[in-house]
Amino acid sequence: MKISTISTTDITKPAGMATKPRVPLLERETVLGYTLLAPALILIVIFMAYPFGLGIWFSLTDKLVGDPGQFVGLKNFLKSFRSQIFWQAAWNTFFFTAVASIFKTILGMWLALILNRKFRFSRFTRAAVLLPFIVPTVLSTLAWLWMFDATFSVFNWVINWFWKLDISLFDLALKEPFRGRVRINWLGDPALAMFSIILVNIWRGVPFFAITFLAGLQTVPQDMYDAGSIDGANGWQRFWNITLPMIKPIVIVVVVFSIVVTFADFQLVYVLTRGGPHNSTHLFATLAFQLGMQSGNLGEGAAIALFMLPFLAVLILWQLLYLRKEEGA
Amino acid sequence: MRKSDTMQAPGSDQAAINKAGLTRREFVKSASGTGLALAAGTGLSLFSGQAPAFAQSRELHILEWSSFVKPADIETDRQAEEFGKQEGIKVRVEHINANDLNARATAAVESGAGPDIIRLLSNGPHLYAKGLIDHGDLIQEVGGEDIYQTLRDAVYVDGVYRGVPYHSGGGAYVYRRDIFDEVKVGPPQNWDDFMAVGTKVKDLGYPIGQSLGHSFGDPPGFCYTFLWSFGGSLVDENGKVSVDSQATRDSIKYLKEFWKAACDEGGLAWDDTSNNRAFLGETISCTLNGASIYFVAKNNWDEKQNPFVWKLHHFLSPAGPAGRFHTFGGQNSCIMTYSKVQSAAKNYIRFIHKDENFEKFFVINNGYIKGVVPKWEKHEMWSWDPALTPYRELANYGKHIGYPGPYDRRASEVFAKYIVVDLYARAVKGESDDSVIKWAADELKNIYS
Amino acid sequence: METRVGETYFKRLIVFYIPLFMFLVAMLFPFYWMLITSVKPDAELYNVRSVPFIVKEPTFEHWTYLFEETLFGRWAFNTFWIATATTILSLFCGVLAAYSLSRLRFVGSTSIGVSIFVTYLVPPTLLFIPLADVVAKLKLIDTPWALILTYPTILVPFSTWLLMGYFKTIPKELEECARIDGASRLQAMVRIILPLAAPGILSAGIFSFTLSWNEFLYALVFLSSPLQKTIPIGVVSELIKGDVFFWGSLMAGALLGSVPIAIVYSFFVEYYVSGITGAVKG
Repeated sequence: MKISTISTTDITKPAGMATKPRVPLLERETVLGYTLLAPALILIVIFMAYPFGLGIWFSLTDKLVGDPGQFVGLKNFLKSFRSQIFWQAAWNTFFFTAVASIFKTILGMWLALILNRKFRFSRFTRAAVLLPFIVPTVLSTLAWLWMFDATFSVFNWVINWFWKLDISLFDLALKEPFRGRVRINWLGDPALAMFSIILVNIWRGVPFFAITFLAGLQTVPQDMYDAGSIDGANGWQRFWNITLPMIKPIVIVVVVFSIVVTFADFQLVYVLTRGGPHNSTHLFATLAFQLGMQSGNLGEGAAIALFMLPFLAVLILWQLLYLRKEEGA
Repeated sequence: MRKSDTMQAPGSDQAAINKAGLTRREFVKSASGTGLALAAGTGLSLFSGQAPAFAQSRELHILEWSSFVKPADIETDRQAEEFGKQEGIKVRVEHINANDLNARATAAVESGAGPDIIRLLSNGPHLYAKGLIDHGDLIQEVGGEDIYQTLRDAVYVDGVYRGVPYHSGGGAYVYRRDIFDEVKVGPPQNWDDFMAVGTKVKDLGYPIGQSLGHSFGDPPGFCYTFLWSFGGSLVDENGKVSVDSQATRDSIKYLKEFWKAACDEGGLAWDDTSNNRAFLGETISCTLNGASIYFVAKNNWDEKQNPFVWKLHHFLSPAGPAGRFHTFGGQNSCIMTYSKVQSAAKNYIRFIHKDENFEKFFVINNGYIKGVVPKWEKHEMWSWDPALTPYRELANYGKHIGYPGPYDRRASEVFAKYIVVDLYARAVKGESDDSVIKWAADELKNIYS
Repeated sequence: METRVGETYFKRLIVFYIPLFMFLVAMLFPFYWMLITSVKPDAELYNVRSVPFIVKEPTFEHWTYLFEETLFGRWAFNTFWIATATTILSLFCGVLAAYSLSRLRFVGSTSIGVSIFVTYLVPPTLLFIPLADVVAKLKLIDTPWALILTYPTILVPFSTWLLMGYFKTIPKELEECARIDGASRLQAMVRIILPLAAPGILSAGIFSFTLSWNEFLYALVFLSSPLQKTIPIGVVSELIKGDVFFWGSLMAGALLGSVPIAIVYSFFVEYYVSGITGAVKG
């Protein structure tokens, strides 16, 4: 930011306006500023900052349930580093978040573009499309659990129906036909299980992306598109050169927000696979929970949960700086 | 909102501000006033340690799992109510999903508030020992030395009894007698038998179903007993890691063959409920299970239309070179140290262990649970239904999940990390023996060091 | 039906109708599935040979089970009341905080803004145990207040961001004019800014409501009486007993826990969409 060499008194003001004295104004802003922030800050300090500090403390002790534990420094972190399960969970979390986020962004944008027209029942369609986002996660995930069930999966049933018609699909995923029935092991094969949890996460997340992108798209005036196509740009070019730059801020914020939430995802995996088959779908959050709850090792659980933070912090700070830069420009 | 809209705002609002100016100020003042009052009130209670005006009458709060045997829950609730009338205290039984019990217990112990009695599963008392009282007197009253060793180990922490075993259970194999008859085999006595039987039924189209996924019942129920029956172990009596042994390798070799020849390979994904569904859906002919499949078949299906339940029977775990083993665990009534109604809690435990009361509970469970002392093995209920009789003997072969090592927090961590389950799951998927054994050994060393 | 410049019907089919149809199927199929499962009798549900997509003999037994054997009605009420109270509280904090951070300049505003933002990086799986401690000390355990006061910590950061973006689009001149005419800052905020920001507030509200409607972990740990439970917790604890999942009733519960909300949202969705629009600019 360039330091202005023009002094404030030179800024033109309408003739009749009195110049308010500087000092009281500044004070008043500060007082008001903090007063308005107070409710949020009080809640956050009591119910977030303090427990967070406590959580950090836990991770540095050998705390067990009911036992305050003693300071052990980084021992919990080191123990995690030595565990292959931990690294598996680390890889899973990154992979899961990356793939799901990419797809959610692309599909969300596509859906937003589709919904960005006026058509009959658009209101109903937009609300209907929001359903996966609204339904309590635990319940919709249970529905998917039933759809993926090794014996009763509806997907397998459909595939079997095609199989009978001699159309072969999915050479890779087919397990041995069994009594003439194909059974794909959606949650039992490590690779497929990861695919399944990513699929459910995408299903749940696309509505949020779509509706938020849609809002962004509506700020782009239709005439810009028309002008573009008159100039000979086709759909793709219009999107890439007109739309995308205009909604870039919102895309970035939504994507970053979603990455943060997906990275810390717990409910989905907890309900669908509990981290199995053999840890191939364990995420940081589920592993931390399992260690803390099933074996009472709260120190170690806290350490694993904390491990997520540095990456997310970097991401958020990057986003803040980027947007600040855009604003300043 | 388009940019063009905002430009029109100023004119219309000016007059409105002037008119409503005072009332707005008043509104904002009062709103923030109430907010501050609420915060102040909460803050004061924090300092004074006094509860805000929420009613506090004498109540005994019991937390336990949600049994799939719904009549058992109803009976528990009924007995609790009866006790409450007798003792003159309000009793509340809360049933939640078993998987969530530990989360609630942890939160309760950590925050010093919650249920008065928690029915902890298997060796929960070891995990939460710091938050539980001494139950020594109750243990003596319930049977003392007569209580099965495994169950006593579960509650005996550093010389003090931290809970009272209420009932116990283990899994046995349920099978389709009609299918076995069709291929002319009987229930297997040892693993070689089982291989032969399994191959035949799989060829017919009804394989054995074994869960090897991540859930707390059937998968560990199989894997631990399987390893033990070959003479293997994860750790020895002193807690030294012993998984790398010839016995382990023998067991892996067998399982790889058995899996391909006899099992439904979808089992890698299965949790505790999938094998139930598969069995009831008639895609498998045999599986390890606590008696839940049998119970559902008996009670939920129309016997005239579907004589399914009469085709079912059970057999105990096949014996290996080192003998026959079952995992055996119990549910333990544990009184929390923060409880304000401890004497009432103790009386409750005495009440439910009275012979006439326990008998009602025992009978309603219809074989799914066993008592904590051997005398219940002789109860006539076992002969009412020949399909359930094999369960009677289960306790004799029962061992806890830490066996042969100590039944402590580390054993729970091993259990929680599904180390033995993954050992077999990965081997069956094709990983080499050396690789999986090394992995398991490393994980175990990490825990036991 | 809106048409774009130079677009043929065929093109519209490819670019609009077919993809829209595919998306709708993908998004809504599980709900169709839930509906079917909730009216299918158990005998058909557990029969591998039956066709999953149709029901031979629909039954309402799962729905009556849901209402008679569980406290679903009560849970719905609890969840609704908690979500509403949380939303109001989060909006209150969020609006004030957003105004303060976006319209006022004072020492520390940047760092406080950043730290509020950063708080939602902290995962609930880390917080819930220490938080149980705090909540218990405040004697709020097993009351709706345990959730009403803790959910905002998750909701306020995002709401604040959203509203900040929106407030920034409102020109300073509007406020200045009001204040010149004698209104105090607060009056200007309430009388001018808030009405203009209404769509943004609405969208933050919808977001907050949805998230607290959905929340599982804190509700699991802080609530215990059946009368206090919320839908996600109650349904899962009453309808999953050990090995046995009561699929029919579970799906009925899932539908009831989502479709009515969606219907309500459909009235607000236009505002929600334009609300985010405001936040984009600036």
